[in-house]
Amino acid sequence: MTIDVGSLEEFPEGRASVVMAGRTEVGIIRWSGAIYAISAICTHQGGPLCQGVLSARLTAGRPGEMLVDDAAPVIACPWHGWEFNVASGEAIWDPTVRIRTFPIRVTNGRVMVETETRRGH
Amino acid sequence: MYHGPVIDCDVHHTRADDAELLPYLSRGWRDFITDRGPAGNMPLTVQDGLPNPHGFMRADTFPPGGGPPGSDYETLCRQALERGDVRRAILTFGDDSHVAGLHNPYLATELARALNDWSIDRWLSRDQRLVSSILVASQLPEEAAAEIRRHRDNPRMVQVMLVDNPHHNPFGHPLFHPIYAAAEETGRPIAIHGGAAGWANPASTGGGNISLYLEAHTLWPQVVMTHLVSFISHGVFEKFPRLRLLLIEAGAAWLPSLLWRFDTEYKGLRREVPWLRKLPSEYVAEHVWLTTQPLEISPQREQVTELLGWINGADRLCYSSDYPHWDADESNYVATRLPASWHRRVFFENALKFYGWQAADLAPAGEAALA
Repeated sequence: MTIDVGSLEEFPEGRASVVMAGRTEVGIIRWSGAIYAISAICTHQGGPLCQGVLSARLTAGRPGEMLVDDAAPVIACPWHGWEFNVASGEAIWDPTVRIRTFPIRVTNGRVMVETETRRGH
Repeated sequence: MYHGPVIDCDVHHTRADDAELLPYLSRGWRDFITDRGPAGNMPLTVQDGLPNPHGFMRADTFPPGGGPPGSDYETLCRQALERGDVRRAILTFGDDSHVAGLHNPYLATELARALNDWSIDRWLSRDQRLVSSILVASQLPEEAAAEIRRHRDNPRMVQVMLVDNPHHNPFGHPLFHPIYAAAEETGRPIAIHGGAAGWANPASTGGGNISLYLEAHTLWPQVVMTHLVSFISHGVFEKFPRLRLLLIEAGAAWLPSLLWRFDTEYKGLRREVPWLRKLPSEYVAEHVWLTTQPLEISPQREQVTELLGWINGADRLCYSSDYPHWDADESNYVATRLPASWHRRVFFENALKFYGWQAADLAPAGEAALA
């Protein structure tokens, strides 16, 4: 089912905004020109994932280094800090642990989310 | 009972007195130590250890001709090597193993060098079954690295041993990394030997300074836990991917719960250590081995076996006696506490793999003593 969740201007860049898409709580995230839709509920203990910090993924080439991967936004659940790749839904430390992601597109300035097609678990 | 070949990963050898070591020191350091007039020699070992009410040594290990336990080859040979089919014994020094607890970093560095030469000359030359740890004074890590490289071509100097911690940071901190660079470069594992609690400067138990030996001995694993968590958190195994780590004399049954906790914490705190690419338990599975002594005693034998099963104990544990210390574990006793299906691996094959030896190269007892 494709659901119109609002106009693009309602979703500011660099933030996770929570909307109801039918009966599903969905986090809409705009980052570097892209737009993503993820479950707003953390897969770990059911925490409010989209109230957590959205940031570029921190990475390192060697111990002690701190690099930024701007192409890979991650969101950290405010409960316990589990980080998930916003694009794939995968936990940073184990790709077999995931949050749901939803197909999303912008049509005529409206943000459209498909909630029936399930990606991840 | 177990009647197969044994590798004992912790046998403490020591010198009878200062005079035995002095020839291995440079002239300047020898004079510095001995030319004190009526004051006698400069103390060469850490003096502030917590006293054991029984003494630290098994009473039956004092050599009949005098000297401290572990100082006489014939006694050590009879008691530690020939009670079973011991094919290799890894020597780990006695009180001198606390060299990194000395305040004077330059004296410690010289002593470590001299003690390694003493170990080669006085012990390895006598018996092919004996191999030695490389003692390092980690007060000066670059000097310690040079000492490791000095033994590069001696395959019987089999590992780099760390006991006391002269610094305020545990062993994973980058200040220690020159030691690990040299160890990896020369193909030597790092061995962290428990027992610095109450000896080292600074005191190495969390929560405060302990004052009783009962506290110290109960908390032996706490120090090693700290170093292990430090090793992984600071990315030592990412920086030195070929490095192997052996945890000696800390027991083992504490490790599963530590790793459950460590993995859980990592999932939430990965952002602090983005250089880690695996779960902490995965680094342990790839890089870390443990010796058995002092083996934890559970009310039911199966309980400790089940715990050790969580860390693949059958393939991860290496037998160690800790001869001639008061709490040494005899191999026959350890055999009664572990499943028979683990015996050959724990007593022999795991250490064989850890040190990269071939079984065919380890002569049976009776053929090993050098002429």
